[in-house]
Amino acid sequence: MKIRTERSTVLFNTIGYVLISLFALLCLLPFLLVLSGSFSSEQEIIAEGFKLIPDQWSLEAYRAVFSNPEQIFDAYRVTILLTLAGTALGLFLTSMAGYVLSRQEFKYRNSLSFFIYFTTLFSGGLIPWYILIVNYLQLKDSYLALLVPVLVSAWNIILMKNFMKSIPESIPESAKIDGAGEFTIYLKLILPLSAPSLATIGLFMALGFWNDWFMANLFITTESKYPLQFLLYKILASAAVLKTSIAGNLSPDFKPPAETLKMAAAIIVTGPIVFLYPFVQRFFVKGLTIGAVKG
Amino acid sequence: MSKKTIGLLMTTALLATALAGCSGNGNGNGSGGSEANANAGAAANSGSGEAKAIDTSKKVELVWYVLGDGHADSPKIQDQINAMLEKDINATIKLNFTTWNDWQTKYNLLLTSGEKVDMVFASTWADYYKFADQGAFKELNDLLPTYMPETWKAVPKQDWDEATVNGKIYAVPSTYPEYTPDGLVYREDWRKELNVPEIKDLDSIEAYLDAVKTQKKVTPINGKAWNEVFTLFKAYHGYEQIGGDSGVIVAKSYDAPRDIVNYAETPEFEQFVKRMKTWSQKGFWTSDTLSSQKEAGDALKAGTGGAYWRNAPGAGGFIVDAEKTNKGTDYAYFPFTRFHGYAMPTLSVNNAMAVPKSSKNAERSLMALEKIRTDSRYFDLLTYGIQDTHYSLSDDGKLAISPPKGKENDKNFKGYGITSWGWRVTSLAKEQQAGGWTEFPALMEEFKAESKPNIFAPIIMDYKPVKSQQAAVNQVIQQYGMPLMMGLVPDVDKALETYRKQLKAAGVDQVLAYVQEQANAYFDEKGIQ
Repeated sequence: MKIRTERSTVLFNTIGYVLISLFALLCLLPFLLVLSGSFSSEQEIIAEGFKLIPDQWSLEAYRAVFSNPEQIFDAYRVTILLTLAGTALGLFLTSMAGYVLSRQEFKYRNSLSFFIYFTTLFSGGLIPWYILIVNYLQLKDSYLALLVPVLVSAWNIILMKNFMKSIPESIPESAKIDGAGEFTIYLKLILPLSAPSLATIGLFMALGFWNDWFMANLFITTESKYPLQFLLYKILASAAVLKTSIAGNLSPDFKPPAETLKMAAAIIVTGPIVFLYPFVQRFFVKGLTIGAVKG
Repeated sequence: MSKKTIGLLMTTALLATALAGCSGNGNGNGSGGSEANANAGAAANSGSGEAKAIDTSKKVELVWYVLGDGHADSPKIQDQINAMLEKDINATIKLNFTTWNDWQTKYNLLLTSGEKVDMVFASTWADYYKFADQGAFKELNDLLPTYMPETWKAVPKQDWDEATVNGKIYAVPSTYPEYTPDGLVYREDWRKELNVPEIKDLDSIEAYLDAVKTQKKVTPINGKAWNEVFTLFKAYHGYEQIGGDSGVIVAKSYDAPRDIVNYAETPEFEQFVKRMKTWSQKGFWTSDTLSSQKEAGDALKAGTGGAYWRNAPGAGGFIVDAEKTNKGTDYAYFPFTRFHGYAMPTLSVNNAMAVPKSSKNAERSLMALEKIRTDSRYFDLLTYGIQDTHYSLSDDGKLAISPPKGKENDKNFKGYGITSWGWRVTSLAKEQQAGGWTEFPALMEEFKAESKPNIFAPIIMDYKPVKSQQAAVNQVIQQYGMPLMMGLVPDVDKALETYRKQLKAAGVDQVLAYVQEQANAYFDEKGIQ
């Protein structure tokens, strides 16, 4: 038997769908504007501003960007490898730390937790941190400088610890009776049970690595080692410098990148991820809700 | 989510900078003197023999930093330079670029962290005086005669004087005298077409802008107009800012440099903002000009604007480029120096190279710089790139022309240009100032004839005792001063009163007292009344 739908429900649904569609369209607009901007001619943008449908289509910006494609491929390579390696390694370290801190048998877990927590409130500041990484660890211009400083965060460890606390103490205990060692317990029992938190924190980390430009900004001096976001930021920054007081000292033929070039760079840098996201997203959502309906 | 992470990162970074600022400065002050002295002493000893006896038996790698972006071929050029350097002084250079993102932060870190850097770009606008005062750079007095003998002799004493802080030289200034006064680029063809009198004062500027607005139906300053109006204000009244950007604190005139005031309190300011109110009402700029991201120059080029602020060499480059892209247009330039009848050259340390205190190879670094400044093979390679790849020589060999022969129509050609400002030397330079603008030489003559030494820029100010007041004052300028100056307030009298009151509340008087004190100290030292 079909359930009859009330007229008010139909009306409600219609309005809802219309509103949501409109809203979705609004969210798409900026992307479309960037896209069409990247295909516009420079002169038109200066004279008439950005348009959704340019009068004059032009591939000039993309030609300019791809006149040196290695730069972009290099950046993609760095960012992808960094994100993969960073997330895997970071998750491993964070979950180990979280596990140890969550175990009742560990006598100093509270003081150690506080020690970790303390660093989120007070830190040495930028310069001592920079000195540590450059002068003592000698990581200047090394890929490790992109990885190590962001690998483990206190916040994630605490998150992980709190989640693992909810795993009953009797589970590791039973495994111990069956003769499992500490590492086996962690690997075979705790990790699978922590899948939801691993997914959440993994997502945080992956996004963090993907979006990070600050490390590269400070530590990387070789152009081929630039990650993607920094490359994009660099392109935009050379335009921004014109707005500062140095502008007067720049050589007269210093030209900022064209508006269209900026748009094209944004498309090339973010495009693949934007297109990838809808397909990958469902895994994230699944991961996040796994633990939600546990009795 | 991603925005959040970036936001978080940036906030932490900001916080960290704020926290770290004080400690960094303290360190610099504390240990600077003794180490520099020790080094200088050692150098003086080793250099006391003959100049030829400089020991270069140990091969060293020098780390250099300049501002801005590198070029795709920078590694190639570096290799070529190093091949020569290795033969000549047994050293190689690793040339690093800060890129333009956040360069101030990075520059600060380079100098305060003690990272091993052997030479950096230095400049008044990159806080040369402040860093030198804090001991971030190595003092060079004893090293220069030994390791840069030719430069030591060639650079005029005036230039060395300008690089001197507390009696010590901390940088090798570029030898490239420039005048960079503010001024206005405008459409000369429109001016003639619209029958507007030649631009020579504020009234004729107004007449021109008015004609552009009413007859050409074009917003004259179409984009960010703050620079245009603010520099006009300063020049029209002959106000000079002190030690870089000093906000509302100005010296009232060149002839009375000790007469330092808060310009917001002056009747001249009141008159000027009233006039700007009428300009704004006439639509000389748009009402969103303060938040606009558009360069008025882009509009001027596209024919949708009528005026653009530039300094003189910048104007030249702009005009040459604009007349090339838009055939049949005619642009002209009005330097604001004509309001007060004098021009100040830029300081020699406007562009310079300095050796950070942490450098272990200051001697070799200076020798490399000497090579670059005296040997055109080095200079050309580093400044203009590889011959026939990035530039070709003009027939008389005096100019580097880019794009080179055979690549004029190559759309993928990317001109080579790095921030070579720190080592520029007029005798080696193969470029024309102002991009080869034909009217520039005449303008230079005009400036030279009325040249007066720059007595305001070298005053060292770090605003340390009045840091919070200065920040508050800058906030007030942003919030109240800029809309007032641009005539974007409904009631000028009321806005002016609020502005003055807010400035007082923010502590402008303490800032003024501080600036006055610093200025007096400098004027006393130099014997300027």
